[in-house]
Amino acid sequence: MDFDAIVVGSGISGGWVAKELCERGLKTLLLERGRHIDHKVDYLDFATPWDLPNRGMVPEDERAEHYAIQSTNHAFSSGTKQWWVRDSEHPYDTPVDRPFSWIRGYHLGGRSITWGRQTYRLSDYDFNANKLDGHGVDWPIRYADISPWYDRVERFAGISGANEGLEQLPDGQFMAPLGLNCLELAFKHKTEADHPARRVTVGRCAHLTEPTEEHIALGRGPCQLRNVCERGCGYGAYFSSLSATLPAAQKTGNLTIVTDAIVERLDYDAAKRRVSNVRVIHAKTGQGSSYQARVVFLCASTIASAQILLTSRSEHFPGGLANRSDAVGRYLMDHVVGIGATGTHPGFLDRYYYGRRPTGFYLPRYVNLTRQDADFVRGFGFQGYSGRSGWHRGAEEVGVGAELKQRLRGPGRWDMRLVGFGEMLPRADNRVTLDAGRKDKWGLLRINIDCTHGENERRVAERANRDAAQMLAAAGFENIMPLGNVSPPGQAVHEMGTARMGHDPASSVLNRYNQAHDVANLFITDGSCMTSSGSVNPSLTYMALSARAANHAADLLGSGDI
Amino acid sequence: MSEPESSNHANLNRRALLLGAVFLVGGSAALLRFTRDPQKQSDAGAVFSPDEFALLEQVTEVMIPATDTPGALGAGVPAMLRQLLADWGSADTRSAMIGVLQAIEKRAWSKFGGGFLELAGERRVELMRGYDEQAIATRDLAYGRFKYLVLLAYYHSEVGATQELRYELVPGAWRSCLPLAEVGRASAV
Repeated sequence: MDFDAIVVGSGISGGWVAKELCERGLKTLLLERGRHIDHKVDYLDFATPWDLPNRGMVPEDERAEHYAIQSTNHAFSSGTKQWWVRDSEHPYDTPVDRPFSWIRGYHLGGRSITWGRQTYRLSDYDFNANKLDGHGVDWPIRYADISPWYDRVERFAGISGANEGLEQLPDGQFMAPLGLNCLELAFKHKTEADHPARRVTVGRCAHLTEPTEEHIALGRGPCQLRNVCERGCGYGAYFSSLSATLPAAQKTGNLTIVTDAIVERLDYDAAKRRVSNVRVIHAKTGQGSSYQARVVFLCASTIASAQILLTSRSEHFPGGLANRSDAVGRYLMDHVVGIGATGTHPGFLDRYYYGRRPTGFYLPRYVNLTRQDADFVRGFGFQGYSGRSGWHRGAEEVGVGAELKQRLRGPGRWDMRLVGFGEMLPRADNRVTLDAGRKDKWGLLRINIDCTHGENERRVAERANRDAAQMLAAAGFENIMPLGNVSPPGQAVHEMGTARMGHDPASSVLNRYNQAHDVANLFITDGSCMTSSGSVNPSLTYMALSARAANHAADLLGSGDI
Repeated sequence: MSEPESSNHANLNRRALLLGAVFLVGGSAALLRFTRDPQKQSDAGAVFSPDEFALLEQVTEVMIPATDTPGALGAGVPAMLRQLLADWGSADTRSAMIGVLQAIEKRAWSKFGGGFLELAGERRVELMRGYDEQAIATRDLAYGRFKYLVLLAYYHSEVGATQELRYELVPGAWRSCLPLAEVGRASAV
């Protein structure tokens, strides 16, 4: 054996698995399909606005030709261009009338560099949901199973936030919260007074406000309120694989990282019920190689992990590795986004703030909790953003000359956006498949994604739009507008569900420890393991499940069970 | 760097003749000197003709004049726009932005019977005010983009961000709710 463990993918999930396995003394190989990145060195976070290439804009022709899908992400700019794949080089297919936005980057650290850093726990409302309303299979775990792992990953990652005592949004191990601004406080008071079930809290986010010795020893420091996070943070102030998990894994001396390593397939040894071999194609040379280890973790991301499993056909698994259930690639979910409302507020003109807070506020789910009270199942939460408009408004307002200059010298009116995140139900027809007839430039079968919102998602969206507008109106906002139309799935960049956990090997891929029901040494801890989507940002859950699964695998390796 | 206004005087008479003559007959083919194929542009020097660039300089300075802080010229806005249109803008965007300059020049002729660069300062301001008001009222997309780029080039320049507005590379703290007077100017980012 080359290694004790192989981890495929270096994003949030893979980074956590690598750290935990290395700290358990296991020689671990981390395979990353993208290029190497040097933490801090490769970031553009110290570029001033006037230093940024083209004032932060990616050339229009380049954007259209190479980044048609990636550029729809809010974090896409000339300061972050290196973090996105070129769509022109990494095509996938969807039905013409059913777009899916697969937003991603291929480099060490993956999307842990560009993630939104919002960190919320799932609750038993989420873990019980499938069983209660019959959509999807039952989760094989409950909150009590994951709660200590949430504690563990929150302490290490460093989460700032406020405890609220809400059953639907469990409290956690938080460092000092970043405060709400003047308008947000007023909105909070009004909304909570009008609706006792609703709560407005500052965004819980993976930013150090009170770094511990453990954080500092990894080279991390407190958030400097620059809000250029998506470019990478030279202070290591927000959690990423590069700032946190990979340095911790490297400290053990047990980690080997190989970049430019595209995993083509996993070979299966039917006699031993094991993955016997991980086949890799070098991204630049196209040369093939393979690695062996006692245990393999797939953390390649929801769609990529499904691709690897579906590619790994064998006599024993003709439909793809660990796919006896035919669930691999199915039940693809995202969150319903493009819902909510915006408005401007006429007041607080003598108030402002200092610094650039890298988070907004959060208004957690309040429908269908203690009782089913809506014409849909599940729910939605809102991320909120508010501030005073800047010079940009000048382009839309009449006026030029000294008057314009004087007007833009001060901040404009306050505005607020309530950005809904709705739960999406797991449906078998929402799926990733491979196109047997088409290959990418490495000879891998092209990915097809066919995913749509259903009636429940439409009702979630309608209600979120209505409630958002109503709350803004009640709090004295004007010019209230819907955010737009429901975005194509994928736009939340929360894709998940393609190798779901479950009790029954006949209907799910993974057991309660993210271990493949049918392949003893295969674990999958990226978003593909998710049995339902909940309505909160999922990364913290991936961290907790990854840490939990890695430690379980280490236990099994220790006892000789795998 | 911007050129002083007077350096373009040599061109003015020729322009006046050319544009004036054709505008009298109302032809849109009037803008001969502005008629080029923007598909061919690739380097900053070729984005604007010298005449167009001279016009751009004066239009942007009217839009953002020097006051107690430098204006568009002092902040290098015209050169920045030229660079953006060479390196960032598509051929369509370049044409549209040149089209805005052409439209402004055309308005100068129709309102005042002369080219923009020949107008006195207050006439330029009057012209641009009227043009801006009408373009915003009619949701003129090309002008909206032009104005945004002018503002972007100015407020994200070092002068615009740090002298006219306020910019901290490393704020270092979050103070969530303060009297505006304590913070002063708007943040540039």
